[in-house]
Amino acid sequence: MTLAGTERRRRQLITAGLGTALTLVMGTVLIMGFRLATHVRANIGSLQTASTLQTYPEEISQQLNSLRDRLEVRAYSGQALADLQGTVKRFDQMLNELGVSAESDSPQLHRALQLWHQYAPVLDPVLSFNAQPYVDSDTTGSSLSREGRQYYAEVKRAQLFASDSAGPLQAQLAALAATLQRTCSDAAARLRILLLAGVLAALALAGAAGYFRLTRSSHERAAREAQEQTRDILKTVHEGFFLLDADYRIGSVWSEALTRMFGRRDFAGLSFEELLKDLVAPATLATATKYIKLLWGDRAHENLMRSINPLGQLEIVMDNGHGGKETRYLEFDFHRVMGPEGIKHVLCAVGDITSSVLLARELQESQENANAQVDMMLGMLHVEPLQLMAFLDSAETSLNLVNGILREPARSDTEFRKKLGGLFRELHGIKGEASALNLKSVASRVHALEDMVADCKKKPELSGNDFLPLVLKLDDLLAHLRSVREMGARLTTLKETAPAAAAAVAAAAPHGSAALRQSRPVEDLSRALQAMAERLAEEHAKRFRLTVAGLTEVPPSYAATVKDCLIQMLRNAAVHGIEPPEVRRAHTKQDVGVVSVHFRKVSEGYELVFEDDGAGIAVEALKAAALRQRLISEDQAHGMDTRAAMALIFRPGFSTQEDVSMDAGRGVGMDVVARSVYALGGRIGVSTHPGRFTRFKILLPAARAVSSAVA
Amino acid sequence: MSGMRNRNAKALNGNAKRCFKLMIVDDSNLMRRRIERSQQFEGLQLVGTAGNGLDALELFKRTDPDVVTMDITMPRMDGIECIGQLVALKPAVRILVISALADKATAVEAMERGANGFLEKPFTDRQLNEAIAELMR
Repeated sequence: MTLAGTERRRRQLITAGLGTALTLVMGTVLIMGFRLATHVRANIGSLQTASTLQTYPEEISQQLNSLRDRLEVRAYSGQALADLQGTVKRFDQMLNELGVSAESDSPQLHRALQLWHQYAPVLDPVLSFNAQPYVDSDTTGSSLSREGRQYYAEVKRAQLFASDSAGPLQAQLAALAATLQRTCSDAAARLRILLLAGVLAALALAGAAGYFRLTRSSHERAAREAQEQTRDILKTVHEGFFLLDADYRIGSVWSEALTRMFGRRDFAGLSFEELLKDLVAPATLATATKYIKLLWGDRAHENLMRSINPLGQLEIVMDNGHGGKETRYLEFDFHRVMGPEGIKHVLCAVGDITSSVLLARELQESQENANAQVDMMLGMLHVEPLQLMAFLDSAETSLNLVNGILREPARSDTEFRKKLGGLFRELHGIKGEASALNLKSVASRVHALEDMVADCKKKPELSGNDFLPLVLKLDDLLAHLRSVREMGARLTTLKETAPAAAAAVAAAAPHGSAALRQSRPVEDLSRALQAMAERLAEEHAKRFRLTVAGLTEVPPSYAATVKDCLIQMLRNAAVHGIEPPEVRRAHTKQDVGVVSVHFRKVSEGYELVFEDDGAGIAVEALKAAALRQRLISEDQAHGMDTRAAMALIFRPGFSTQEDVSMDAGRGVGMDVVARSVYALGGRIGVSTHPGRFTRFKILLPAARAVSSAVA
Repeated sequence: MSGMRNRNAKALNGNAKRCFKLMIVDDSNLMRRRIERSQQFEGLQLVGTAGNGLDALELFKRTDPDVVTMDITMPRMDGIECIGQLVALKPAVRILVISALADKATAVEAMERGANGFLEKPFTDRQLNEAIAELMR
């Protein structure tokens, strides 16, 4: 661009110089031509005069002749003299004029004048005659008077002189005319040459002007084309381009894509800060402004500046044009534009990378999903297939129940809250079982659903719309359970078809693959409980030992209820009952707590005793928690005896835990246990000693034929 | 490793006149040793290390280093604050920020206070030496 500019300037200088030179040449030629033409015209006048003068000597001679003849015959001579006088006067006048004109220095003219001056002594007496030449007498008739005779003699002399001198004078005049003619034709030739030069110079000037115009228009065309191309590029390119000047302001040229990115068109003159002001957080704006200032400094080189670019992935929030907000991601790239005196501009390229950012997120999510699936699969490898299937069956039954609750028509706020309570209990049950089986992906999903229900509960007013997100989340959970089931089926197939895998699984599972096929759900249950106890101990930083006895005695029809109750009680024991090791030590108890489960047949049916040697249940803490949760009033709390207070733990929604974790704090749990025990016609009792133990005793009637599930 | 030290020593002896003084500031012992061990820039002589900004300032006044590697997150006085004070004491000092803070705002802030380079942790020996070379240019 700079080179092209220099070249153009050079060419303009040449053209201007050439034009001036040609104009000067033409001017000179014109002035010279004018002078020459004037000279030629004067010479032509002289030439004409000289040509005319050539005839005069002869004419003078003849007129003298005629005058002599008239005098001889005594005819009237006055007219002849007058003619002669006129001729001489004209000749003298013209000759003198010629002498004054251009060719006065001509030798021929000089000689002609000399000759003519010789005429004067003989002509003057003739010309000055004014007397009567004749006298009349009767005797002799007309005769010459005395003056006449003198006059006649003068005329004769003059005639003789004139006839002698006419030849030389005429020759001189002819030579003068010839000289003048030569001069004229020379001048004419010079004039022709000058005219030719003038025409050539004019042609050259016209040519130069044409060339200049042509090159200028071709340059203009090229410039116009370049401008159009730049405009087309800026209109078409997907990136936003603009230049920033030393005041951090945007230049007048920018690409159209900016309009789409920023929803405005007034970029020219806008400062970089103003461009981002309403789109990003103040802290980001401050960093961006500092960065731009650093770009204008020379301390950091381009690569370093690029590596610390804080606008590489800028999140901006914009109006989407429909009254809402939209989050976009822009990538700013900066390049210094160097001039001869350092940084001239900073070129800024902006790309909309929203789709690639979202894609990257999606990829990450699907990667996490895949990881979660692998985790789930690894978790499932440790779960007995039949136990898994039993869990899935019961979870699906419960979720269908949840679905039913969600679809139940409700109008009043109380009804909505009742629905939420029901949802809570069912979900909590599923979560407990999923945790017991170490199916983290299921448990975390149910937990998230519980969170949503909890959020709903906190709302001052409820409507049907509040349940919509729950339905969606529930669908997601059901889909997940289906994929778990599918994977479980595939794992079972794998175990059965691949002997090596089967051997591995057999080695991992103490009972071997034979035990798998001969289903013994209660055996599986005791192992599941052990696994759950280990997990709970680890997650809550507790140490305790679980002893299980008599679970083989559980009749199949009670298996599900016993399992649900045990899971819930084990969870309560791990979270509320067993103290952390340091607390136990402080109370001079063994570091490792003991949780025992004992099932046995008794005379009236079956007895399940669940006991932990933990902190026990403090009646006052129970009352305080119930008060906090507004389950009872202060008066009720005052009048409540120990037995009534202990019954609080079976109240729906009751919890002593203030924080919500995966395992406790929702206030759903013991009421589910109590309900399922009552549903089987059983009883549940609790006894505790603060600081010593908590014991739940469940009495179930003799086994019934009908299998019951948790409803 | 001793071989490397010898090589450095030789290089230092050879360029005794053009020897620059280096100070390493990082609150991690391990990282200080790592930087010390890895830097192989000819004509760079370690004059001291500091574990926080205040100690760095003290050491700086005593030893007058030309080149400083600076951590950002440190107890007592952080790197950003320290950079400002070092530059105020000696405007010609060259500071390489070596930080695990990946956020660009910190880098920009450090550069604004007067740092000359930025290297993100973790780094390779080669990256460290390239960053120092760039700093010395």
